[in-house]
Amino acid sequence: MKFNILKGPFVKSKNSTHKIMNNLLIALIPIILFSFYKNGIVLYLNDKTDLYGMFYPLIFVFIGTITTFIVETLYAYIFLKKRKNELINYIKNSFSLIPGLFVSLVLPLNTPLEILVFGCFVATIIGKMIYGGFGKNIFNPALIGCLFVVSTYSSIINTNGGYINKYELDTIGSATPLTNVKLQEGIGSYETLVEPYGTLEDFFFGMVPGSVGETCSFLIILAFFYLMFKRVIKWKIPVIYVGTVFIMTYIIGSINDFGIWYPLFHILSGGLLFGAVFMATDPVTSPTTSVGQIIYALFLGILTVLFRFNTSAPEGVLTSILTMNMFVMLLDKIGSSSKIAIDKIIIPLLICIALIVGISINIGNKYNKEQTDTNFNIIEKTDNYYIATQKGNGGPIKAKLYITNAKITNIEILEHNETPSYYKLVEDSNYINKLINNQENIEEVDTVSGATISSSALKKLVNNVLTDMER
Amino acid sequence: MKTILNGIFKENPVLVLLLGLCSTLAVTTKFENAYLMGICVIIVLVFSNITVSLIKKIVPKNVEVPVYILIIATFVTILELLLEHYVKPLYDVLGIYLPLIVVNCIVLGRALSVASKSNIRTSFKDAIGVGLGYTFVLMIIALFREVFGNNRLTLMSSISNLTGYKAVYKVFEDNTLFPMQILTTPAGAFLTLGLLIALFNFIKGGKKRESR
Repeated sequence: MKFNILKGPFVKSKNSTHKIMNNLLIALIPIILFSFYKNGIVLYLNDKTDLYGMFYPLIFVFIGTITTFIVETLYAYIFLKKRKNELINYIKNSFSLIPGLFVSLVLPLNTPLEILVFGCFVATIIGKMIYGGFGKNIFNPALIGCLFVVSTYSSIINTNGGYINKYELDTIGSATPLTNVKLQEGIGSYETLVEPYGTLEDFFFGMVPGSVGETCSFLIILAFFYLMFKRVIKWKIPVIYVGTVFIMTYIIGSINDFGIWYPLFHILSGGLLFGAVFMATDPVTSPTTSVGQIIYALFLGILTVLFRFNTSAPEGVLTSILTMNMFVMLLDKIGSSSKIAIDKIIIPLLICIALIVGISINIGNKYNKEQTDTNFNIIEKTDNYYIATQKGNGGPIKAKLYITNAKITNIEILEHNETPSYYKLVEDSNYINKLINNQENIEEVDTVSGATISSSALKKLVNNVLTDMER
Repeated sequence: MKTILNGIFKENPVLVLLLGLCSTLAVTTKFENAYLMGICVIIVLVFSNITVSLIKKIVPKNVEVPVYILIIATFVTILELLLEHYVKPLYDVLGIYLPLIVVNCIVLGRALSVASKSNIRTSFKDAIGVGLGYTFVLMIIALFREVFGNNRLTLMSSISNLTGYKAVYKVFEDNTLFPMQILTTPAGAFLTLGLLIALFNFIKGGKKRESR
């Protein structure tokens, strides 16, 4: 007896795969055009680049798209031995343009072209063809290509300019919003996180640094509604994904006394919206059952927050989508049980909710605690003097600070383990007297060059004692 | 000859049986380490296979695994002590992976599946074949990883005091694509191994398709 294996899905709808892909392309066109405006036309109008540089974003996207097309056609010709009509048929049905398009939209614009081509090559071969072609891949091919490029060539891309175009380099600085988050001590504030880039409106309309496709949240949301009404993507995944991140960052923000801007900042910056709308909903690599989709999206949100706050990498969207792609089959198995079984559906949901609340409270508290200096210790405290220690270069520096009328009048160093030659520099520069004289605006005292750690430790000591007195 | 080729192609320990992956992934960062490791495994494999084949009749079935492990451990220790005394550079290069040959599944696997069932001749040939298969795969993976991941090829470097011959080459001119950092990491080792297995199966599948 002979069995034929047919490719899924088997449910018939009016949407053919071709229509789905055409709608996807229509939704992406405004995003590409916006990127052309932001990274090309604005630069040209400000005399930052020549005509080639103006069209560079379009060239970048075009090269990425055409590379996957060529690679896949060659693969089909050489390894799958397709010829003439078979080959044309194959090309029509494999949608080889899509991975390259997404690779070029997710990578930073300053990626050298040969690296872009290589990333598209990896996306097609390793991400798609090795699994057996369109419809059989476990992981999102575009994200495989991007992960490969980002993990291998990040230093080259960064020396080449990273995510920043030449106009932004002058107006904004050298960091994307999420890299900037990592540069903060502790959790940051509205002034340090949002204001360097303008207001939250700038985030919404996409005038912030970022990769080619991800910046304009407004257009991505429009694309989401278009695709949702055309029934191309599953609305549950983006909505729940973004909602989970919103709730978690809202809890983290409110523990640290931040307003509504903090969760909005996290949603609008980075590739979260782009990833949620276009990557997480990829028809091949996302769950098909609705319970599966809900759990998938919940875990995507949890993982993204975890990656953003607890690892050194600024962006968590790419890795979390790839991680969850692994579990799609399992989630579909949970979702496809015919009746709602409590142990199969309710328990995963409860675990998700517990994780969401627990992780966000934990992260929020972690940053809340870090605001007090752990290197500072008060040993003795009276009305007239403080004896306190502050960690310096070689260990704690112990000092006695005399106080009259809530002001420090004299500082006596009792013990220290600093390197003698460095410490002598501090003594020679009359640094301690400077600290005493300028205690009203202590932040403006310059540290002693050559003995930065020792002198800044002393500064922190004075500062900490002053804040302690105010309490 | 057929037994030896069988060990290299049809029953390749790494690509077909997927045994000994730990050392395969770990020592293949340098071409030199790969073939030195391969030689050590061949030596242990040959001696343990012969010994097991000699005593196969007196070992009771229910204690055969501990007995074989003991035999393998003995040979590994002998090799380790000899290397430490006579070939110190090699001993330093292989480090922890030398004692870990004891738990290399290839050696125990061959002892259980072949040597305990066949005569000395067959088990000797089998040991040579499987050992060569292991060494070839290690060398291919290491070649790929070192050339593309480090832009360098080390034919002989750490044992050059011994041989008086040193060969380290730079492969490509400076460019943006190479070296590819990811290949030197464990993730790159898995990737290379996976691609190699895919290629191997593709070639094997091609032969099957033609014969049909």
